[in-house]
Amino acid sequence: MKNLNISYLYLTLILLTTGSCIEETPNYFEFEGYQFENLDAQGGSWKTILVTDPSLIDIPQPESTNSSLYQAELSALKQQMSGLSPTQTQAVKYWTNNPVLRWNEIALELAAKYNLIPGPNADGTYTLPNPANPVGPPAFPFAHPPYTSRMLAYLSVAQFDALVVTWHYKFQFNRPAPYLTDNTIKPAYASSQLPSYPSDGATVATVSKEILKLMFPLEANYLEDKYQEHIESLVHAGINVQSDIDAGNIIGSEVIKLAKQRASSDGMAKAQTPKNVSDSIANAAFERFGWKWENMETPKRPVGLTPLFGQVKMWNVPSVEEVRPGPPPAPGSKEFETNAAEIKKFAAHMTISQRRIANWWEDGIGSYTPPGHWNKFAKEAIVKAKLNPLRSARVFAYMNTAIMDAGVACWDAKYYYHYPRPIETISGFKTILGTPNFPAYTSGHSTFSAAGAEVLAHFFPADAAQFRAWAEEAAVSRLYGGIHYRFDAEVGITQGKNVGAYAVNRAKNDGAQ
Amino acid sequence: MKIFIRLTAIAATTICLSMASYAQTPWDEVMMGKGEICTALIYEHSSWDQYWEGTYLRENANIGTFTRQTIMPMIAMGISKKINIIASLPYINTKASGGTQAGQSGIQDLSIAAKVDWLQKQVGKGKLLFLTNAHFSTPSSNYLSDYMPFSLGAGAPEIGLRGIGGYKMDNGIVFRAAAAYLWRGQTEVERDYYYENGSVYSTFMNVPNALNLHAAVGYWAFDNRLRMEATFMSLNCLTGDDIRSYNRPQPTNKMEVSQVGAWVQYFIKSDRGLGALAYFNQTVSGRNMGKATTFGIGLTYQFKAF
Repeated sequence: MKNLNISYLYLTLILLTTGSCIEETPNYFEFEGYQFENLDAQGGSWKTILVTDPSLIDIPQPESTNSSLYQAELSALKQQMSGLSPTQTQAVKYWTNNPVLRWNEIALELAAKYNLIPGPNADGTYTLPNPANPVGPPAFPFAHPPYTSRMLAYLSVAQFDALVVTWHYKFQFNRPAPYLTDNTIKPAYASSQLPSYPSDGATVATVSKEILKLMFPLEANYLEDKYQEHIESLVHAGINVQSDIDAGNIIGSEVIKLAKQRASSDGMAKAQTPKNVSDSIANAAFERFGWKWENMETPKRPVGLTPLFGQVKMWNVPSVEEVRPGPPPAPGSKEFETNAAEIKKFAAHMTISQRRIANWWEDGIGSYTPPGHWNKFAKEAIVKAKLNPLRSARVFAYMNTAIMDAGVACWDAKYYYHYPRPIETISGFKTILGTPNFPAYTSGHSTFSAAGAEVLAHFFPADAAQFRAWAEEAAVSRLYGGIHYRFDAEVGITQGKNVGAYAVNRAKNDGAQ
Repeated sequence: MKIFIRLTAIAATTICLSMASYAQTPWDEVMMGKGEICTALIYEHSSWDQYWEGTYLRENANIGTFTRQTIMPMIAMGISKKINIIASLPYINTKASGGTQAGQSGIQDLSIAAKVDWLQKQVGKGKLLFLTNAHFSTPSSNYLSDYMPFSLGAGAPEIGLRGIGGYKMDNGIVFRAAAAYLWRGQTEVERDYYYENGSVYSTFMNVPNALNLHAAVGYWAFDNRLRMEATFMSLNCLTGDDIRSYNRPQPTNKMEVSQVGAWVQYFIKSDRGLGALAYFNQTVSGRNMGKATTFGIGLTYQFKAF
């Protein structure tokens, strides 16, 4: 019986020790609101992307801080702040004073939620998501990498332009934050000289909600709830009164009109082609080069992913042909065989380190995609550098337009060259990553990553080497995963760098340096 | 040798590799005397061509027929008549007949269990029995759990506590039921963001705790040399998410399974020396699991060491 007690004592100890080393599994990036490194008082003069002139978006002249109307707003704010529930306090802490980051995170979460490839019907056919019937099945959208890159580009551009306009008026009207007028108000975040009219938080909330509703129509209610929570948190944090918020909403609504207008005519609606168009693209490549890519799934998918994404309107590159690479080595050529032998060797002798790299950068179905991965890096770099919302949005806008342009350029090459995947050219080849439903050359992740890295390297020069090393690792990860040849990855890196340079040049000349 | 070799329910595994970890645990009423050692080697073959995506039973031509084969060495030892220890370490191979994804093979989880006999009381024409079993298992190689359905296991430590009640009649008929609670820890994955009903920013996944039930009606014949049982097993994760539409499973999934089966064990010369066993299990219902058919065969050898 004594033995027995001892053995159960051991068991309890094991239980306690294993229980005590449980790792956190947070649902968002945990950081506190911070003191901005710079307020960018000249930010209202920076070049915008969609808006032609900030002064064309009109907002009312604010009441002065000693007016009775403003004093009434302050009283309302104080009353609300005095009775916050734990949920409201938590919301204030969650949103922080840089809500650009939270809306970006929400966008990534929706990308991961909707990044599901439609399965086959019982009769072996496939039904594609249809924006006219978003409920489906399958639900709209399929947030694959091109879709997600475009979604993030519109989100970030709308946020950036709206914040430039907001900054323009902030420093025109110079109305101080509520807590600077009334020192009985204790703000939830670091005290700041940033003028509070119009509210940058409200501007960001409005544009973000509207872009994401456009991109994820089934999430309208969820987004409305997030928007309300965010707007309320601005008052609860003591940083905005209602008229700040109202003015921010006006700016957001105007910028959204421009974003929606561009999105409706950028060519995305035609990117997913019918089968006859897809077949003619494949045949053109076959006549030109003597090869064509084919889907290898069972049942076979009749059309690859967005064959005409390469024709979607770019942001920073005048024409996609400018960044189209030369042809890959022909299957069967000596150069091809060397490349094929290399990935066969990786597959046969996979090291733990190679496996980790392949999985770390997989960003496959069900994830936030490669563009999402770079948005996570950008977010972390922004917090580390303590950037204000305007400067944060600028980083995201240039990075995400570069990443979408990289996607467009890469997709142009993919369907122009229509190059077969390793599972087609290497008999019996098995991979640890799933092979995607589009041609191999150039590698999407390599192209997205190089473009993202170039832009981040420009904005965060101290970490430039790290960003570029990550892009290289993302590229080679596709070889370990067995879904790309080295030439797909290397040319993809070059293509991504070239595309990224256009965004960097634009950023250098937008007046913010 | 009337040993506890019922490791099997590994069978169920298929999509849910985590199943293996509870499997090695004995849940029968058999005990060995002090100094008795039983070694066993078991081969198990489990396959499915349909799986439950959430609660929806489907096929997937890019998996085709999924096969999981296990070779498991085991050793059991009588510390005393009332306390037995059992350890096992399976080697597993997985593959799919369809699609282009690579299967896996390697050593899975080391499991160590202690079984305690608390009660044997003559009631009417038989004995009323009560035993407990406590086990601990932990991954014993660097297999990747987040590669389902091909991964070898859930990649997480597990602690289980089981109560076993039974009534063994003097004429050889046995009725038995066992219930266990399984605490499962976390598994480290090779990405730092994943979706589990929302974003998770972590390189760890929480493997859900589970309730595990067994029931059997058995018969001991030929002077206790032949043992035959009809069995039922279920495992229900208490939390977790569902496999999303046409997506792959992950260790956070709420896995559920029920199986019916049969078990035969034959001791060539009473309870020492060589024995053989065979079993069969059919999955009848499930969630986030393959609908597996499983059989296993094994050899056992028992001797007195001290």
